[in-house]
Amino acid sequence: MKNDFKGHPYLANSQQDLDEMMEYLGIKDIEELYSDIPDEIRFKGELDLPFYKSEYELLEAIKTKLSKNITTREVRSFIGGGVLDIYMPAIQDELLRRTEFYSAYTPYQPEISQGTLQSLFEYQSMICELTGMNVANCSLYDWATGVGEAALMSARITKRNKFIYTAATAPNREAVLKSYVVGANLELASIPYDPATGKIDITKAKEMLDDTVAGIYIENPNFFGVIEDKLDEIITKAHEHGVKVVVGADMNSLALMKPPAEYGADICIGEGQTIGGGPLNFGGPLLGILAMKFDRRETRQMPGRIVGITTTSNEGERAYANTLETREQHIKRERATSNICTNEGLIALSCAIHLSLLGPEGYKDSAETMYLSAHYVAEELEKNGIKRIFDSEFFNTFVLDLKIPKEKKKEFTDFMLERKIFPGIPHSFDGNNYDYLVTTSYLLCEEDLNDYVKAIGEWRN
Amino acid sequence: MYRQAKYDEPLIFELGKKGRKAHIPPRCDFSRDKIKIPENMIRTAPPDLPELHEGEVMRHYVRLSHMNYCIDINTYPLGSCTMKYNPKINETVARSEKMMYMHPNQPEETAQGLLEIMYELQVALADLAGLKYTTLQTPAGASGEYCGLALIKAYHEDQGDTQRDEIIAPDSSHGTNPASTVMNGMKLIEIKSNDDGRVNMDALKSAVSDKTAGLMLTNPNTLGIFEKDIIEMSNIVRDSGGLLYYDGANFNAIIGKVRPGDMGYDVLHFNLHKTFATPHGGGGPGSAAVCCNEILEPYLPVPTIDYDKDKDYYYFNYDRPKSVGKLHGYYGNVAIALRAYAYIAALGYKGLVNTANHAVLTANYAVRKLEKLDGFRLSHGPDIPRKHEGVLEATPFLRNYDVSGMDIAKMLLSRGLHAPTVYFPLIAHEAWMVEPTENENKDRIDKYVATVAEEMEKAKVDPDYAHHAPKWTSVGRIDSGWSVRNLVLSYKLLKEKREKGEYIP
Repeated sequence: MKNDFKGHPYLANSQQDLDEMMEYLGIKDIEELYSDIPDEIRFKGELDLPFYKSEYELLEAIKTKLSKNITTREVRSFIGGGVLDIYMPAIQDELLRRTEFYSAYTPYQPEISQGTLQSLFEYQSMICELTGMNVANCSLYDWATGVGEAALMSARITKRNKFIYTAATAPNREAVLKSYVVGANLELASIPYDPATGKIDITKAKEMLDDTVAGIYIENPNFFGVIEDKLDEIITKAHEHGVKVVVGADMNSLALMKPPAEYGADICIGEGQTIGGGPLNFGGPLLGILAMKFDRRETRQMPGRIVGITTTSNEGERAYANTLETREQHIKRERATSNICTNEGLIALSCAIHLSLLGPEGYKDSAETMYLSAHYVAEELEKNGIKRIFDSEFFNTFVLDLKIPKEKKKEFTDFMLERKIFPGIPHSFDGNNYDYLVTTSYLLCEEDLNDYVKAIGEWRN
Repeated sequence: MYRQAKYDEPLIFELGKKGRKAHIPPRCDFSRDKIKIPENMIRTAPPDLPELHEGEVMRHYVRLSHMNYCIDINTYPLGSCTMKYNPKINETVARSEKMMYMHPNQPEETAQGLLEIMYELQVALADLAGLKYTTLQTPAGASGEYCGLALIKAYHEDQGDTQRDEIIAPDSSHGTNPASTVMNGMKLIEIKSNDDGRVNMDALKSAVSDKTAGLMLTNPNTLGIFEKDIIEMSNIVRDSGGLLYYDGANFNAIIGKVRPGDMGYDVLHFNLHKTFATPHGGGGPGSAAVCCNEILEPYLPVPTIDYDKDKDYYYFNYDRPKSVGKLHGYYGNVAIALRAYAYIAALGYKGLVNTANHAVLTANYAVRKLEKLDGFRLSHGPDIPRKHEGVLEATPFLRNYDVSGMDIAKMLLSRGLHAPTVYFPLIAHEAWMVEPTENENKDRIDKYVATVAEEMEKAKVDPDYAHHAPKWTSVGRIDSGWSVRNLVLSYKLLKEKREKGEYIP
């Protein structure tokens, strides 16, 4: 690169700067700094990478590509499954675009990072309020990886290597659980659900609980949207055998439903995107929630970062800092509780801002609208003879009995798309036919819900 | 002169009052009476969330933001973290409605625009890696490591080599390397580095065996020194039946100039939030991409994003019987990947090569200037050119003036500059790991070094000043020991302790 650099907005130095630095180092060409790299491995070609000469051209090119997408705001979306289209108040993005937050690193120098640290402490505290727990970490990647981390954590706490979970767990979360525990060699077993109610099979669950089990994972409401209201016997038996109870909760449902800590969960996980972590973003970034009941020994087995209150060299001064760091990879290396380093800090902040905006009333109100919209759709469909698969109480999700044959799935998708509808998540119980997991947020008004009912009715006829 | 804001800002819980309202969510007119939660599952008390009006929420978080340092304030030369400017156009494109309002479960035919960009990014990253296949599913560097090692493990198991469970890594490696190894159920064999900071070839030779699964090595290494014997290393590992993993944390040094695939590596992860300028967010979200060659391809996580040329159609491929499974609920941090795509496309191949060149030049310039200060010395291999970073040792300063590398770091904070990464890598003493990146111009680096020099002079005269630094920051020197002894980890625990009359600062 001899005297031919013309400047670029992302590169700080001019050719003159470069020349002066080279002169200081006693070199004539930056290549001299690469002289120790054997010639045989140097790349000598040129790569054909995407390139747009100006910011305007770049913006237009990306916009053109993205224009092929159809968004959940252009149609009516009935898709949930763990993430949900939500409304982010304008003030929220105004705050998230504060560069002081988003262009900061992990707070390794806490004295100049109190903004990040205090807001993460507040996030942790809000998660405790929702779940009934009293410790939460700063975040995991998403709910699915949370299941994996919770399984590993249960195993560390109990020093056992078997983890059982309900078969009414979302398939993507089950898949991540399976790949997360390979290394630790955990044995996994799934607990069947009652085919009529969609609830966990109590008898089977109790049979599977014994002194060899590290933890039991129950989703509530479960993947099918069904509220698990008969957990007492299972949780009692689990605790009798020293088994950790992990509940995966829909975070919006907790506005109406009992916090997992109150019915005996030791660890609570879930997805924070749905309570204000951020827009859908095609499934990432998300926000993995992990909270637990405080225990001096067991909390030390938690993965990820935890912010605590601390003090400083100025007497009596309150400050916030990452704490229990001896659990983490940068200190403990191969003995760390997890390899997690960069997590979802900014999404946790986003979630805290959202919950601050909602307050207890807004949080409850939005959950009620989700509940009522789903129940309205279910009732109207039922009037037309279209039933739910499981006849149990639900929150904002249910499985619609559609039995669409595999070969007709594309036709159904197109049929609904013509009516500006994403009908839900296709789920097959028999491997040949699809039923649909239907979820409502608070973004659809009565007319949209009626259109959905009408469209499904038309398809059936 | 630097004065960071200091607000004594209460917790947001303590700012509220019942009945204040910050936001009205969309609401339907259905009767609330219809809500029927099973009785034993009804929530009885609402969560104690803050109640403020919108303006007060704004003030609270704006005030907190003032108590944060960031790359857009000043230099942030954290070694191995690659803190570069986050181009603002990337924030704009990531906020396209066509990005934000895309559900991961919506029909793939309605996501063709996004899939096209993801596919193009996969190809661009694979080209830069010199490897053929890419997954974007891993949401952070550590997840990328876990994925890459899982591929290696799956490969050996598929070959019937189930005894291959050892990952070799040098003692200078990032902390995530051993942690990811253990999470994969493999054993870490740590090998010593030479005096010049490079891998000791004899140690490597005696470490490999028929139990070797692979070598995990970042190149340049954490000292910023290129492992020039990489081909020989790769032959040693390969002859033993092992594979090579490249930790891409240090890729900024060699973008477009040297490709890991050409060095003999089988698999690598990129940190998109390092090399490709996506924001660090105060601790994420980051994003990683994993690239691998054809022998590891069958094991990539499901789904892969593939392209059907005939139909001009992008699709998720779940038909991967040998896959290691899923490592994220969906497809990874897509909105971060989009930013990385925009970054690559703004620079193109030539721009990226310049990026590497300038990052290496600024690092050498900064390190060689700092090295001359009384109290610092260069760690390892004094005559070897550095790449994107370099490590200094403040050992002489500690010995002569009783002021540590950490003390100097804290003094810098008083001056409105971020410290380098301190006390890493572990093979250096009183380590100061400096990585200015291409984002710092010569004047900034000169000013940085001059400030370090001034502070060190002050410390020589008054070590007490150094021990009590920083000043003018939102809070004084943190005593993190207090937090570990008292474990006040939430507002709930805070209230409990207060009720019991325990001291809380």
